[in-house]
Amino acid sequence: MRATVGLMLSHGSVEPVMSRPDYEQNALHHSSLLVLLRGVGPSRARILQRAFEKVRRVNSIKVNDSSGNTRTIWVRFIHEHPVEHNDWGDFQTHRRLLGLVTIGKFDNQPELNELCRLHESLKVRYGSTLYESRAIFFGPDEPNGLETIGEEKSSTPRRLQDDFTTPSNFKSQAFFYREQDSCADLESRIGDFVSALFWVLESRRLERSREKAEKVSLLLAPFEKRDFVGLDMESRNNRKRCVGRVMKNLADLSLQAGLVDEALSLYHNANETLRTVGDSLWVGATEEGLCAASAMLLYPQMREIETLHRNSSLQEAGTSPLRHTPEKWRASDATKKVTTAPETTNGEATVQQQQQQQRLTSNSSSCSSVSSLVTTANNSSASDTPTTSSTTTSSTSTISAAPLGGNQRNGELPGNILKAEEITNYYRKAIINYSKYRHAATIETEAALKASRICIEQNRPLDVAMFLQNILYINLSMSEPERVKRFEIITDLYQQIGYQRKAAFFQRLAALKHVQQGSQAPDWLQSYRLMLGSFTGYLLCLDPLEVVGNAAGWPALQIDLVQSLITAARRLGHSALATRHMTFLLQTQWDNMSPTEQSEMAIQLQNLSAQCEGSPVPLVLENGTVIPPANLTDLPYCLDFQVKDLPPHLRPQRIKVAKADSGPFLFTPIHFNSVDRRDKKKDKNKIAFLWVQNDLSEVCVRLRNPLPFELTVTDMRLLTNGVVFESLPQTIVLQPHVPTYVPLHGTPIETGQLDLQGYSTHTLGVKSNCRLKHMRGRSFPPNYLVEVIPALPRIAVKTSLPQTATFSNMNSADIVVTSASLTLYNGESSSCTITITNESAILPLEYLEVNINSNVEQELQRKIFRIDEEALQAKLPVPPQGTIDFVVEVYAEADFVCPQPPSSVGHSSAPAAGDYSLMSGSGHASLPSRVGSPQHRRHEPQTSSFRSTMSGGQPSLAALSLQPEPSSIGSQFSQHIEAQVRLKYSGGEALTAGYCRQCAVSFNLELLPSAQITSWDVLPAEIASQFYLVLDISNLTAQEMSLNYTDNKNILIEAKESCRVPIPVDRCSLEQVCAARAAEVAENLERELCFRTQLLSFNDALGKLCSEHIAERVKINWLLTGTDIKGMASLRGIVLSQSMVDLTAVSPLQWSISFQDTPVQPHSELVCTVGQRALLCIQLTNDSMQPLKNLVLSIKFYQDYLNGMENYNLETRVAFSGPNRISIPILEKQEQTQHTCSVIFFTPGRFKAGIECTTNPQQQQQQQQKKPTSARSCPSATHVVEGQLEMFSSSYDEQQAHVWKFIPPIEVTVVEQ
Amino acid sequence: MAFCVAVIGKDNAPMYLTTADMEQELDLQYHVHAALDVVEEKCLIGKGAPESKELYLGLLYSTENHKIYGFVTNSRVKFIVVIDSSNVALRENEVRAIFRNLHILYTDAVCNPFYIPGESLTSKKFDRAVQKLMSGNA
Repeated sequence: MRATVGLMLSHGSVEPVMSRPDYEQNALHHSSLLVLLRGVGPSRARILQRAFEKVRRVNSIKVNDSSGNTRTIWVRFIHEHPVEHNDWGDFQTHRRLLGLVTIGKFDNQPELNELCRLHESLKVRYGSTLYESRAIFFGPDEPNGLETIGEEKSSTPRRLQDDFTTPSNFKSQAFFYREQDSCADLESRIGDFVSALFWVLESRRLERSREKAEKVSLLLAPFEKRDFVGLDMESRNNRKRCVGRVMKNLADLSLQAGLVDEALSLYHNANETLRTVGDSLWVGATEEGLCAASAMLLYPQMREIETLHRNSSLQEAGTSPLRHTPEKWRASDATKKVTTAPETTNGEATVQQQQQQQRLTSNSSSCSSVSSLVTTANNSSASDTPTTSSTTTSSTSTISAAPLGGNQRNGELPGNILKAEEITNYYRKAIINYSKYRHAATIETEAALKASRICIEQNRPLDVAMFLQNILYINLSMSEPERVKRFEIITDLYQQIGYQRKAAFFQRLAALKHVQQGSQAPDWLQSYRLMLGSFTGYLLCLDPLEVVGNAAGWPALQIDLVQSLITAARRLGHSALATRHMTFLLQTQWDNMSPTEQSEMAIQLQNLSAQCEGSPVPLVLENGTVIPPANLTDLPYCLDFQVKDLPPHLRPQRIKVAKADSGPFLFTPIHFNSVDRRDKKKDKNKIAFLWVQNDLSEVCVRLRNPLPFELTVTDMRLLTNGVVFESLPQTIVLQPHVPTYVPLHGTPIETGQLDLQGYSTHTLGVKSNCRLKHMRGRSFPPNYLVEVIPALPRIAVKTSLPQTATFSNMNSADIVVTSASLTLYNGESSSCTITITNESAILPLEYLEVNINSNVEQELQRKIFRIDEEALQAKLPVPPQGTIDFVVEVYAEADFVCPQPPSSVGHSSAPAAGDYSLMSGSGHASLPSRVGSPQHRRHEPQTSSFRSTMSGGQPSLAALSLQPEPSSIGSQFSQHIEAQVRLKYSGGEALTAGYCRQCAVSFNLELLPSAQITSWDVLPAEIASQFYLVLDISNLTAQEMSLNYTDNKNILIEAKESCRVPIPVDRCSLEQVCAARAAEVAENLERELCFRTQLLSFNDALGKLCSEHIAERVKINWLLTGTDIKGMASLRGIVLSQSMVDLTAVSPLQWSISFQDTPVQPHSELVCTVGQRALLCIQLTNDSMQPLKNLVLSIKFYQDYLNGMENYNLETRVAFSGPNRISIPILEKQEQTQHTCSVIFFTPGRFKAGIECTTNPQQQQQQQQKKPTSARSCPSATHVVEGQLEMFSSSYDEQQAHVWKFIPPIEVTVVEQ
Repeated sequence: MAFCVAVIGKDNAPMYLTTADMEQELDLQYHVHAALDVVEEKCLIGKGAPESKELYLGLLYSTENHKIYGFVTNSRVKFIVVIDSSNVALRENEVRAIFRNLHILYTDAVCNPFYIPGESLTSKKFDRAVQKLMSGNA
């Protein structure tokens, strides 16, 4: 020892200070024997690890001392021990290295020699303090292998020692083992080694205790050497100092030798002695010793923590006390004294075991021993159970206050032990004492650490914090790595008391220290590791989603920390990590950064990612830490996510099928389908429409670039789940702060449910998966579900007509794919060929349905457009890429008949109708030059003219003006018809699934006016079987028109001119009328029964019939001269008045008239003489199917002046014998009635006789009865016999007045006698 | 007088922090943040008797340059005041006074009906008053 001192003194430059504090030390180490456990030799293979563990497991032995007491000796194995620490061995004996164990492996003799040499050199190095040393050598396996291990076990070591011999200068005891040897005896050998150490120590202790107080020399701490040079050692004070120090030294030795009680009292004595002389340093040492001795008794479990720490390489062990902090609290609250059983810190498993054991056994002492067995089973193998069990029993003995209760075995603690709370105070005092000495800084630091460990044990976090804080003040000149180590230790301790923030603070400091400026070898890896470790303290975690979700912590600190982390990662050269952390920073702290920071970070990220692109995959560090992916979810910021339907013309629709079964009710409140419909509504993310397999689909995303510079986003794709989806990449450049719509396209490859989860981006060099569920602050559903149906064919549609300039504004104009325009003159026909090409590559077109929609009525539409459906269906299916076409026939249907002129015209002409003008009686002589409107004819039923009208020419001509009044337009102006030819088509699987597509061809049809019939009339023809239809036809075109109105009659009409044409038409036959009537009645009867609708009066029906009759027969063909535009005008819709109808239809009455007994032939000349009676016989036959009622037959003679004037005032010229008005109440079917009268002409001349038969409605008749007519009338048989009439016959004449005339009128030439 | 004043919400999120020396702000933030552990510890101890609870927590810890004092309101809002260690003239009573004043200022600021509890304090008036308090002439 002196030699060492001399050595130290000779090296004056060396600071006699322990440069490296032993940070792992705790109070209990004061009682341990320090043994250096070293692996030596070049090959320190892992196989030696087992040996190390075995050695380390022997942490205590039980020794019976000379007086028979059992002592527990503790060993502390360390790997490093600076030689200078031995110098403090006088100050605190546990700092002295007492033993040496080397473990080495050799394969041959030279290697063994080398191991021996290393062992010896270590021995020399620590020679001053070393008591004993052992060498453990692992030799090569036996060459003959493993054949009989059990048998040869005993012989093996010998043989190894035989094969290899240690050099002669090797004096230590060596153990030889084969490499595969189980080393079963190693532990016991180490035990022997420890006991050997103990005995040396014990001898030293005894030696020391026997020293005479007068003779003891002064023990010195290394730095004190100079202080005492030249001092009077014999002074009273110094004597006391010597004694006190020796006493303290003895106490240390006693403590190590397992005599705790003795040590305690010695410490107390030494403390008092030294205090009196003011030897602060050593007072501090005694105080610390007191604490150590007390702690040893109070907290024996602290050792177990240590062993646990050593044995389990898990980091968890470090954190497990943390988890138990609350438990500790409770424990300390409950019992004030620290009574924590070993198991509280020993892991829950042990606690449970212990509790189980407690329940099982009532005997508490046995229970404790059992529990100790359990405890030690964790630590040591069964072989050394006796040794360790003794340690644990001793530990249980110390906790006499434990709730276990009856632990009577030496249960009393020594009276002079420090109380739990005193320990802290003593440590504090010791630290204060140490702090007075600059060179004792290491001791002070260690003391503070020990104190804080004790306080952790005592659950006094504030004291821990105080001690730890104090460490920082200790001015200790140490190397930077040591400083870092110090911070790490502080971190660890803070973590143990749950001070995460403090821990993080120091962890970060340590990290910064690693790489601080001026450091020669900045250790970025360590720095990175520590920074990552401090994440929890700042409420950060590696998963960005969690950080974002928590949104807690101090943003400024978090940003700073992550930035430091990025720097560390970058300096490490791990650019992928740097990129990842930068992405993490942007993702999690975006909201906490100012705009400038944001853009700066973004640019930084861009620079980082230039070295290594970021992608959304977890990164695994070398130490196994997984860095989860970070995504730039909000860069660019998604404002909107819209799933788009397919374009209308490609949108799938259900093929409508007759509803299979909707229940027996027309209406039912139970909606069979509504259940799932409601479900769909609830499902916010369920998309209502469908996508089609293999069809390009679109999602529209509205993005905003929050950065002040242009942001290029490349490779944007949709993120999907479910069916296979082929996403098309999209690249965009986003202007700052401008929301931009970005369409994202893709094609579903399969059918089924597609789950749209978001999109992926590649921006700022980072690939990100931006999922909707991670976008906060916007009410996005976590995903969108779209149903994908089987592929549908696609078609292209072409027409043979030119396209329109404008698209229609009809309903569902969006499905229009092409258009066609056509201009036709009314009545013209044309056709359009529509070509359909099946564009799909594989799918045939199997289903095609064509229908036409237009803005005109269905009926009219049917007339305009015609499609041959059957021919079309025959062309199906269309193979892929195949083509079919079909023709749409277009006919410019229009109303050629001018609607009836306004009533004012009719009224204005009414008075004119009253002016009876005489016209020539010859019906054939001229065509009627005037056409009366149908209205006013009603007012002149009494007219005797055979014409339907006798209206004045002028007014009706006015209606015929060449420029018809605009108000009465029918088809004078061009008319636009918009129509859509809608095609529903399908094919393949989708057809079976019931889906089709719909597209449309828009038809724009312009109908130009051609010919128009402005007015019309019906005139009797020369023969009774025909009549003349007189039409005023206007040419509304701008060209000359050639009109063909009968088979061989043509007329040319100038543009905008009109002309009048007579058309002979066959009368509507009576059979037809009757048939129509019968049908009508039958129908009415039915309707009457079912619906009680208004009966269509027969006359209306008849009018309709006649109108149709005309329309059927009269076709007016027109041709625009000079062109080949031609058309046909129909007279459909012509309205006939009653009198017109009467003329049109064959009369129901058959006339047979004889004059002078000669039957009158048409146009025959009848001659009679003046004054002579002429007999006129009129025979009427009812040819119709029903009886005629209330007929009035009237005969009137008149003179036709052939100038339009007719003279009816013939009282002086003609006289009747017999009535000229005969009332026939009823004329049954096929009934004949005859009326004969005589006529006497008084003057010669030409006379005409108008013979007509009228039917009068009843009321009219009654009126007539009240008003005596000028003519003599026979008593009318106005007997009403309605009752007996059948219903169907009753209506013939009831309401409407009919006039049937005998045509042509009889002409009588009266000559003089 | 005071070097840094921080108001920390009950969930330990910073609500307000100001310092005389803006360059050291981040560093001070780290210190203030680290002080929260002790604050929580002290709050935990005081949990037993809420009526008699002392709002003033005293010196939380001190470093080479700073002394850090704590104060916790009944709504668990924490005030941290950092004082320069070199300022030995400052007595604890004065620190208490600073806290009392700060408490009043905080109460005034929070009384603003437009202030949402838990959000960071952005009131200019509060800031001015705190600055004044820090300079020692409040």
